Amino acid sequence: MEKEIFEQGLNHNRRKFLSRLSLGIGSVALGSLLIPDLFSGKQEAEDALMRALPHFAPKAKRIIYLFQNGAPSQLETFDYKPLLRTNFGQDLPESIRMGQRLTGMTAGQDAFPLVGSYFEFNQYGQSRAWISSLFPHLSSVVDDLCIIKSMHTEAINHDPALTFFQTGAQVGNRPSMGSWLSYGLGSENENLPAFCVLLSRGKGNGQGVYSKLWSSGFLDARHQGVQFSNSEDPVLYLSDPKGMSKDQRRRMLDQVSAMNELSYQEFNDPQITTKVQQYEMAYRMQTAVPEITDVSKEPDSIVKLYGPDCLVPGTYAANCLLARKLSENGVRFVQLYHQGWDTHDNLPNQMIGQAKDVDQASAALITDLKQRGLLDETLVIWGGEFGRTNYCQGKIAPENYGRDHHPRAFSILMAGGGVKSGIVYGETDDFGYNILENPVHVHDFQATVLNLMGIDHEKLIYKHLGRRYRLTDVHGKVVSDIIA
Amino acid sequence: MSRSTSLLENLLFFWIGGVVILLLGGDYLQVPDWLLVAGRLHPLLLHFPLVLLLLSTALLWSRSENWQTLAPKILLLGANFAGITSLAGLILATEDYEGSNFSWHKWSGIGSFFLAIGFYFLKNVKLQIKKSIGLGLAILLLLVGHFGANLTHGEDFLLGPLLAQEKQTLSLEDAEVFRHVIQPILESKCVSCHKEGKVKGELRLDLVEGILKGGKSGPFFLAGNPEQSLFIQRIHLPLEEEDHMPPKNKPQLTEEELELLRLWVLTGGKVNQKVIELPAEDPFYQLIAEKFTKEKTYPFSPADEEDVADLNTFFRKVRPIYPGSPALEVTYFGTSAFDPSSLEELSKVSEQVVRLKLDRMPLENVDLEFLSDFQQLEEVYLNFTGIPESQLSVFSQLPQLRLLALSGNALSEVGTKHLLSMRQVKKLFLWQTGLAIQKQEELKKALPTTVIDFGYDDKGVIYPLNPPKIEFDEVLFQDQTQVILSHPIKSTQLRYTLDGSMPDSLQSSRYTHPLTLKSSTQLRVKAFAPGWIGSETTDTILFKKGIVPTSYSLSTLPNPRYAAKGASSLFDGIKGKANHSSGDWLGFTDSPFDLTLSLGGLKNLSVLEISLLLHESAYIFPPQSVELWVGNSGKWSKIPVPNLPMSTKIQDPRFSLLSLPLSNTQADQVRIKLSPISKLPSWHPGAGAKGWVFVDEILIH
Repeated sequence: MEKEIFEQGLNHNRRKFLSRLSLGIGSVALGSLLIPDLFSGKQEAEDALMRALPHFAPKAKRIIYLFQNGAPSQLETFDYKPLLRTNFGQDLPESIRMGQRLTGMTAGQDAFPLVGSYFEFNQYGQSRAWISSLFPHLSSVVDDLCIIKSMHTEAINHDPALTFFQTGAQVGNRPSMGSWLSYGLGSENENLPAFCVLLSRGKGNGQGVYSKLWSSGFLDARHQGVQFSNSEDPVLYLSDPKGMSKDQRRRMLDQVSAMNELSYQEFNDPQITTKVQQYEMAYRMQTAVPEITDVSKEPDSIVKLYGPDCLVPGTYAANCLLARKLSENGVRFVQLYHQGWDTHDNLPNQMIGQAKDVDQASAALITDLKQRGLLDETLVIWGGEFGRTNYCQGKIAPENYGRDHHPRAFSILMAGGGVKSGIVYGETDDFGYNILENPVHVHDFQATVLNLMGIDHEKLIYKHLGRRYRLTDVHGKVVSDIIA
Repeated sequence: MSRSTSLLENLLFFWIGGVVILLLGGDYLQVPDWLLVAGRLHPLLLHFPLVLLLLSTALLWSRSENWQTLAPKILLLGANFAGITSLAGLILATEDYEGSNFSWHKWSGIGSFFLAIGFYFLKNVKLQIKKSIGLGLAILLLLVGHFGANLTHGEDFLLGPLLAQEKQTLSLEDAEVFRHVIQPILESKCVSCHKEGKVKGELRLDLVEGILKGGKSGPFFLAGNPEQSLFIQRIHLPLEEEDHMPPKNKPQLTEEELELLRLWVLTGGKVNQKVIELPAEDPFYQLIAEKFTKEKTYPFSPADEEDVADLNTFFRKVRPIYPGSPALEVTYFGTSAFDPSSLEELSKVSEQVVRLKLDRMPLENVDLEFLSDFQQLEEVYLNFTGIPESQLSVFSQLPQLRLLALSGNALSEVGTKHLLSMRQVKKLFLWQTGLAIQKQEELKKALPTTVIDFGYDDKGVIYPLNPPKIEFDEVLFQDQTQVILSHPIKSTQLRYTLDGSMPDSLQSSRYTHPLTLKSSTQLRVKAFAPGWIGSETTDTILFKKGIVPTSYSLSTLPNPRYAAKGASSLFDGIKGKANHSSGDWLGFTDSPFDLTLSLGGLKNLSVLEISLLLHESAYIFPPQSVELWVGNSGKWSKIPVPNLPMSTKIQDPRFSLLSLPLSNTQADQVRIKLSPISKLPSWHPGAGAKGWVFVDEILIH
């Protein structure tokens, strides 16, 4: 221990020495001439950059991301392709496929027979957007939606694709989008975490979600997503053990923080301060969380709006309602995952179930935010990690078929938060396979989301292991066409 | 005194003479063309006197004798050049020059010329006095230079870059097409020659009237017709042409500026149009819009930073709407922590607050009159605060208010009256306010430009209830068990049956208190409530434990993948989960399930129950046939078994209870044979394939 303390002292001195050196007259003169930001040493310049967040006036203050995990088919939802019905059973032309790689699940198929949507499509709202009969409620709020039909990604399997969407990289260990926002913008309400995660599961074929998706990666641990569970304790380990009074807890925290303060004075480790702050926040959460998770005071019309399942903890509808409550209480980023969209077979049946789970509550969330005047500052995102193939996987019948993973084109929805409403952006070819106009890459999507939150995606950076990291890596272009 | 000095001194008088003649003669003189050329040398010549005179002044501060003695010589030279320059300037002035800038330049120029001469001849005075005169001369020269530069480069040339930056922060909302886009172009590229004091071609572009009037060659432009507009034609002429504007040696218009000018004429050449009045899809708008910040600018100065910091607590956030903005946003969090007196503390920043969010804070007894000081308020959120409607009057007094969210607060007559007077508000949120339809219509009619959101109305909407929940301790119980039924919506009625029949809203038993079950039971429950469609049925099967046989054997083995712990699993009292691969189930497909068991002596058997799993999409069906024998001291007799209903569609995995009545038969042995379905029905995706039978418990009572 002696030795470690000694070395800690050495490190401390060297760091101080180096940082002072960087403040020397020479570097001030040269630095200020070359790059104004260099004036006080690089790291501090970066800190200053972070302090200036948001970079410009934000359009959206908060995000609710309704992730449809497993990848809902765009062809049965928002991308209407009548040609696939007329060409039922015909092989996908190579001129369209153009060597697109396949998953292990259909790579062995001899043929790729096209199959059209089992569900009828209709045009809705002033935007006359096509939506399938699976989503009667979302159809009714179509004029609040921005439907992007030209999303594309790089990954072809669930885990990398999901990780790519959430963290900007296909491999793990990078901070999630919510963590980046927590890091960049902090919490609006200091009595709640800035980043909350809610899980639900439909009856369709599911794919797992893992806590790495809401990990803070190399960012400070306080930016990690906090998962709410549907048990009696929505946030695990938050409530006091039986027999402990609020007063006792307070006294304990005071003592602990006094000891931590001593420790801080000795080691100067900023993690100690973070820890003290986290204890304090947990203490405040003990009051704030029950206030928010209590749905008993919601008016009856809310139950009708979201559907009666919103009172059954752990359902998608209940999570949507909770998401609204968290969001209106200042949680920056509420991340929902609804599992069960991986429709490799028995697609029509599975989609009916999944759509029933999410349609009403998704639309309800938009309506509910709107009637409180909050939709303009809350960005709602709905979508999966990739799309599904226009050809059938496995046995084919007009009313029973399956679709494999398809990264080249798929649809997502956005609403509120400074996004143009009642528009359809991007277009795919008649086969629904390739993008014809206005492609939106995952990094473009992320850049746009950050932009809506008032952040320049090229300036939200964190230096780790000798390089600077961004959510959008070295890519991403803001899709200004969809910004109101 | 050297000859050159004397010559230079004499020359000074020559220049004075020339200057006086030109000053007096002025406009009456007819200057010959060759002299005009000399006049145009003025901008070149002026650098000599400027440098020489400033240098001679600077030398007065020198400590070196040599330098000091040099000073008068340089001053003399400088004064001569000042004379030449003044003459040239006065000749140039006979061309089209007038205006205040011009006369300031002219007179200060001549003044500095005479001051320089006087300074030169003032020899026997103290150095101190010389220094002060020198300073005066230097200042005068700077003024001359400044007015001259204004004349050639246009006013504000010097501070241009700083002023331009200020322009960028102008908000899109306030920007005007002519004043903020077109005029700056004219000013930077045209006005230096077409303005008061230098009216080339009798065209003045420094005044709006001049622009509308035009010049010597005709009107400046024809609204809506850029091709026929004189100035558009001129600026598009090839650079070599004499009529090309701006002249070859002047800064040229950029591509973008050319386009902006053309589009301005095309859209009518209006001088009082706001940028946001242009249609958003107009290319002109798109080109201009990005020049202005979309961020609103505010006329007030920021609040004291310390005041703002002091106001921030864990339950109240006060911060700029974005970094650098003077406008503040105030948000309250935490209903239980709300302290009404904390609202008064906000008065420190009353001039800066534009957004106030008090959603869900208990405001029943709070007087909102203090808000009348918050004249900059634009958005106020008061959803579910319980504020009395009489309090709304304060919002009529807020001129900037454009959003008011009042959802969840009861409103009626008084509230409507106050709302009707809020014509400045652009968005009103009135969901869950209980306003009658006629009041809603009245508001809509009275406030036609306001977007009023009355939100979701559940009247007339009928949905099915979600299914009720059945709670119990164990699926497999010893003697009896308690069952609790519940539904998330408290007002529902729960109706149940215990015999496997469908519950209905009238006949079936109504659930009031926990049920006690004493035998294996299929329990079905449905929820009903007024305004809702009855729920789907929730059902579950609860199994009562039976007697455990002394020995048992399977004559065929289960499929090795689903062998559980062999036949013993059938009597271990562990109910499998509704998942065939949980390890509790015995699965059979190629051979039938064929079990023989001994009871260790004659027993009276009332019923034999078999717990099955059904899951059509995993090919798990009810058995195709069930055969049952009982043995009494080695004598077997077959018991007739009714036919089982077969699955007709794909359903979720679930338990099934196959109950075979034995009507108190005496037996010491039992044999059961269950044959899996040999061909799946045609509606199944795997039609024709072999089905499975899954068993996890055999219960003998």
